[in-house]
Amino acid sequence: MTGLRVALVALVFLCGSSLAAPDVISPSLRVKQADRLVDLASQLVKINTQMVFENTGAEAARYVILVVDEAHTASMAYINAILVEPNKGGVKPMKLVETTVKGQERSGHRFYRVDLKTPLSTGKTVTITLETIHSHLLEPFPKEISQKEKQLIKYTGSHYIFSPYLVVKQKTTVNLSARNVESYTKLKPVSQADQSLNYGPYENIPAFSHDAMVIHCENNTPFLTVRNLQRAIEVSHWGNIAIEETVDLEHTGAILKGSFSRFEFQRESGSGLSSVKSFKTILPASATDAYYRDDIGNISTSNMRVMSDAVELNLRPRFPLFGGWKTHYVIGYNVPSYEYLYNSGDNYILKIRFIDHIFDDMIVDDAVTRIILPEGCTNIKLKAPYAINRLPDTLHFTYLDTKGRPVVVLHKTNLIEHHIQDVEISYTFPRLLMLQEPLLLIIALFLLFVLVIIYVRLDFSINKDEASENRLRIAGLVDKVLSHQLKRMTAYDAYDDQLNKLRQIKDLNSFNSSLKSVTSDLKAETQAIADHQTKLKSDGPELAEKVSELQKLDKALKEVLAQQQALYVEKLVPGKINRTAFLEVDGPLVKKKSDIREKISVVVKSLQH
Amino acid sequence: MGIMGILRLNTHLLRLTRDKQETFLTLSILSLAAVLSFATRLFSVLRYESVIHEFDPYFNYRTTKFLTEEGFYNFHNWFDDRAWYPLGRIIGGTIYPGLMVTSAALFRLMWLVNITIDIRNVCVFLAPFFSSLTTVVTYCLTKELWDSGAGLVAAVMISIVPGYISRSVAGSYDNEGIAIFCMLLTYYMWIKAVKTGTIYWSTMAALSYFYMVSSWGGYVFLINLIPLHVLVLMFTGRFSHRIYSAYSTLYCVGTLLSMQVSFVGFQPIQTSEHMLALGVFGLCQIFSAVEYLKSKLNKEDFEVLFRALIWAIAGITTVFAAVLTMSGKIAPWTGRFYSLLDPSYAKNNIPIIASVSEHQPTSWSSFYFDLQIMVFLFPTGLYFCFSKLTDSNIFIILYGVTSIYFAGVMVRLMLVLAPVMCILSGIAVSAMLTIYMKQVDPSKVADKKSKKFDSHFTMKSEIATAFVGMITFLLISYTFHCTWVTSEAYSSPSIVLSARSQDGSRVLFDDFREAYYWLKMNTPEDAKIMSWWDYGYQITAMANRTILVDNNTWNNTHISRVGQAMASPEDKAYEIMKELDVDYVLVIFGGVIGYSSDDINKFLWMVRIGGSTESGSHIKETDYYSSSGEFRVDKEGSPTLLNCLMYKMCYYRFGQQFTEMGRPAGWDRVRGAEIGNKDFELDVLEEAYTTDHWLVRIYKVKDLPNRGTR
Repeated sequence: MTGLRVALVALVFLCGSSLAAPDVISPSLRVKQADRLVDLASQLVKINTQMVFENTGAEAARYVILVVDEAHTASMAYINAILVEPNKGGVKPMKLVETTVKGQERSGHRFYRVDLKTPLSTGKTVTITLETIHSHLLEPFPKEISQKEKQLIKYTGSHYIFSPYLVVKQKTTVNLSARNVESYTKLKPVSQADQSLNYGPYENIPAFSHDAMVIHCENNTPFLTVRNLQRAIEVSHWGNIAIEETVDLEHTGAILKGSFSRFEFQRESGSGLSSVKSFKTILPASATDAYYRDDIGNISTSNMRVMSDAVELNLRPRFPLFGGWKTHYVIGYNVPSYEYLYNSGDNYILKIRFIDHIFDDMIVDDAVTRIILPEGCTNIKLKAPYAINRLPDTLHFTYLDTKGRPVVVLHKTNLIEHHIQDVEISYTFPRLLMLQEPLLLIIALFLLFVLVIIYVRLDFSINKDEASENRLRIAGLVDKVLSHQLKRMTAYDAYDDQLNKLRQIKDLNSFNSSLKSVTSDLKAETQAIADHQTKLKSDGPELAEKVSELQKLDKALKEVLAQQQALYVEKLVPGKINRTAFLEVDGPLVKKKSDIREKISVVVKSLQH
Repeated sequence: MGIMGILRLNTHLLRLTRDKQETFLTLSILSLAAVLSFATRLFSVLRYESVIHEFDPYFNYRTTKFLTEEGFYNFHNWFDDRAWYPLGRIIGGTIYPGLMVTSAALFRLMWLVNITIDIRNVCVFLAPFFSSLTTVVTYCLTKELWDSGAGLVAAVMISIVPGYISRSVAGSYDNEGIAIFCMLLTYYMWIKAVKTGTIYWSTMAALSYFYMVSSWGGYVFLINLIPLHVLVLMFTGRFSHRIYSAYSTLYCVGTLLSMQVSFVGFQPIQTSEHMLALGVFGLCQIFSAVEYLKSKLNKEDFEVLFRALIWAIAGITTVFAAVLTMSGKIAPWTGRFYSLLDPSYAKNNIPIIASVSEHQPTSWSSFYFDLQIMVFLFPTGLYFCFSKLTDSNIFIILYGVTSIYFAGVMVRLMLVLAPVMCILSGIAVSAMLTIYMKQVDPSKVADKKSKKFDSHFTMKSEIATAFVGMITFLLISYTFHCTWVTSEAYSSPSIVLSARSQDGSRVLFDDFREAYYWLKMNTPEDAKIMSWWDYGYQITAMANRTILVDNNTWNNTHISRVGQAMASPEDKAYEIMKELDVDYVLVIFGGVIGYSSDDINKFLWMVRIGGSTESGSHIKETDYYSSSGEFRVDKEGSPTLLNCLMYKMCYYRFGQQFTEMGRPAGWDRVRGAEIGNKDFELDVLEEAYTTDHWLVRIYKVKDLPNRGTR
């Protein structure tokens, strides 16, 4: 890995040197005042140097050169320069351009040029803060400790601020994580106060001065390193983004020597101070359905707290992590896509973090982020906030995919919290393609049903099955008889209705006209049933008998209705009968009618089975 | 609107013909039963997670993973150096590959259509899926045996029967999960073949028999049951050309196919378990030949020929069998089979077989626990089968009677009994309901004759209603019982333990995985782990480390060696551990949380197995008992026990630990005693890891001291 890193650095160097001529360290510039803060309170070394540059020459300076010394370059994860303008109210980030310097081509130091917006004229000053963060720079010393011992670390730096210019006056403050300091180099003036060491002021230190500073002190903060981070972001246009991180974690502090005693670990408070029992991971506020598992299943020891601006996961590995112990886990969650995905027409932009928070003061040695875009995306472009290595795109196949989803693979080494920044991915996606997946499902199901229909409806057997065919034919005939019977009964219903109407309104003309169609219906249905009956006779004599019974009943019903009609037409309408006499005659007819109807329905039911 | 829809549907249904209605009902009941049988097995997934259970399933899972990653040929030729160090194990030739091939095929099929499901989930849900299929096949089988009503009842019963659920819950990824399906499928095909006598059905039977052989060692039961059926048919004079062609085809094709499974190899023609099948096959030929001759010869000639033939064949067979057995060509009766016939055989002769809890004889209560009302319905079903004796009913009677015997011998064979219980109970319930349902509403009985006959009984309708109500009640109680048993007894993955805390919330003890994962992450890739064989499969599958012995207990002496190491004092044990290149030792200790199946409770088996071979003859079980003949870990315990490696590893630094209120330090909550040997240091081991609840303790074996340092 380091090989790759070196190669990358070399590449950047080459590019820089070929593009521009080497810069010059102007002898007329000097640092009037420098304050350095070295923070050793965590596993990272954070160095913050505020420098006041002054131009003593005649010519205005257009840029200043900043430098990171040899010993600090390999571990440097992050560098940033800020222009401090107290009178204009605030700070402004400045652009750092890596460069080479005349006379220093061979050295291992790294030089950065900061261009000044307004050239620094004679006698004027400018204040710039250089912030660098280094990983794996603190060295556990001793390298191996037992469970009872505290973890001690050693930091090797320089008493003097490393600068290409003369430093007139400088001070250094070193922040520690504990009061307990084993030893520290004492270049006077120096003092220790509580959890910090104060070096300086030193005056008139020439450029590129170096004087070894060694601090050996206690630091029991978690020394955790993510050796390998695999982050997969699966974008769905149906409203969801699924994020999954596979983490290889290692405790990179002092290695555990000898045995691990659970008894002491549980009972004695001073046991295993440098070990990590749990840590906090902060997810986006909209994260839902979080899971925390590894190769062999769910890790049951975790808590999730939903807060207003974030979701806080308290993760506990299966076992406490002592020095040199490793673990590996997967964490995943969903976020709604409207917070990260923007579009105008068919053009989309995805703004999502390249890496996310894993634990405070984290170190990620190697991160690969795979962004899985929806199927059918084209014209994919990347915009990164810092240099990210984009590996060749691949394809990913999952549910309902046909030609695969494009995957953007991004890679970067040596990352820290400051790298939690958004990358922008723009692509084109025809919206009509959203319909592809549902259509696919519909077609698949449709084909399935068609196949089943074909299989059920068609006869694939080689020999003929007479009996079942016969049965089917009879069933068909009976079905037809039944449907005709149903129609006939509706016709009778209509007949009844007309009779009722006649009784109430006594309008003979309309009755006669509407009766015509009813009787013709009845005739046709009865004829049709009779036809089927003759056909049935040969195949299913039993059923034919039932049908003939049906016909007989039907005839009876018809007769009753005819009697009723005669009664109405001849006596009721002309008013030849009084009410009681009418009821006396009509009542039994109605009863007879309903009796017959019941009988018919019994026969129909028996036919249905 | 909804009501209208239902009404319309209802009228539509009523308008369907009787056939269609029946098909509709059958299909819906059957598919509901299939869904139910899948769903009821998901308790553990819902309660815990989608995880593999127990011990053997982890091995199956590991091999399945290997198969999907490396392909079939690599799988077939796989020499596993992670197990049985330093011997190793040829996996391809020592397993039944049916299970792995099935899930790998399903996995491939799904990936082919881009259903990117994890292989673990395929394994977890395979058993429930196959029990759905079993439900369907039970219906088909019972339908062939009796009628479709009985089939439906049997299908519904088997979908929730605890005896089968116990081995087929989600995550219980074991051979039995698919083997029951294969077995019933073979029976179904066999019944079809017997009924039709066609080569088609008997070949299908042979094919499903092959699937059965490739998936479970229990195929031996099947290959003895079918010949037995043929034999009984012969004796009852029901032997016919149908049976002849069915059995001959099944035996020839089935045996040839079964020999393709490399684990089975030549066993079908060599070992005594398979001899009944071979014998019956020969008998079939002779029987048919005799029948043929009988039809061609006159009576006296036939008598002479018949006698001569009998003597000649009997003589030749005996001589052959004797010669082959003596020369070792026919394998002697294997221990596992002996223990089936004679429950006390294994216990007396092979401690390693007796030590497995699932090889213990079944207690009466567990019959009721696993089968509930079917215990009573079973004889009823047998009665109905006897009352309507057919070729196929004889088969189910034989199946029922033999399997109830085997289930009584060995707990795990309850699995074979459960399906036949369901089938016979289905027949019983269906037959009884068919009689009584008709009488519930006597007016409906159209048949005039029976009406006349039945009119002698008074209150017929009431009695019938009461009877139907009772059966309904029994079936409902069966449902509740099954659900309760499934949820309470058979749905814990055993890899995660759970308990109720005092405030009623659930506490999980995930110590096993904690320890295995620790081993995986923090020991060298080639570390050798010594543990008792129970945990072998889990360690290789989850920690991916080399182990000495595992659940495939094929080498008794090797296991015995490990037992000796555990039972010896530290210095002796160190010699054995160095001889076996052990780097880490893993023990299970339940004394802190009260987990009773830990290594101290298994320790007597280690002593017995350790002492069963020559190199361990100095280890005697009696040395580990106290003077009063008890196995105890407190001050009264025997000094041999109190100073052996296992004791020291379990109780290292436990003497200072307080486990229970009001008890002295070092109180073992499983044994209920204060340990006898508290203050000791380990000389040759150091504690490498102990899990949160002390359930798993891992020790590192120290290197040999440099010369001259002592």
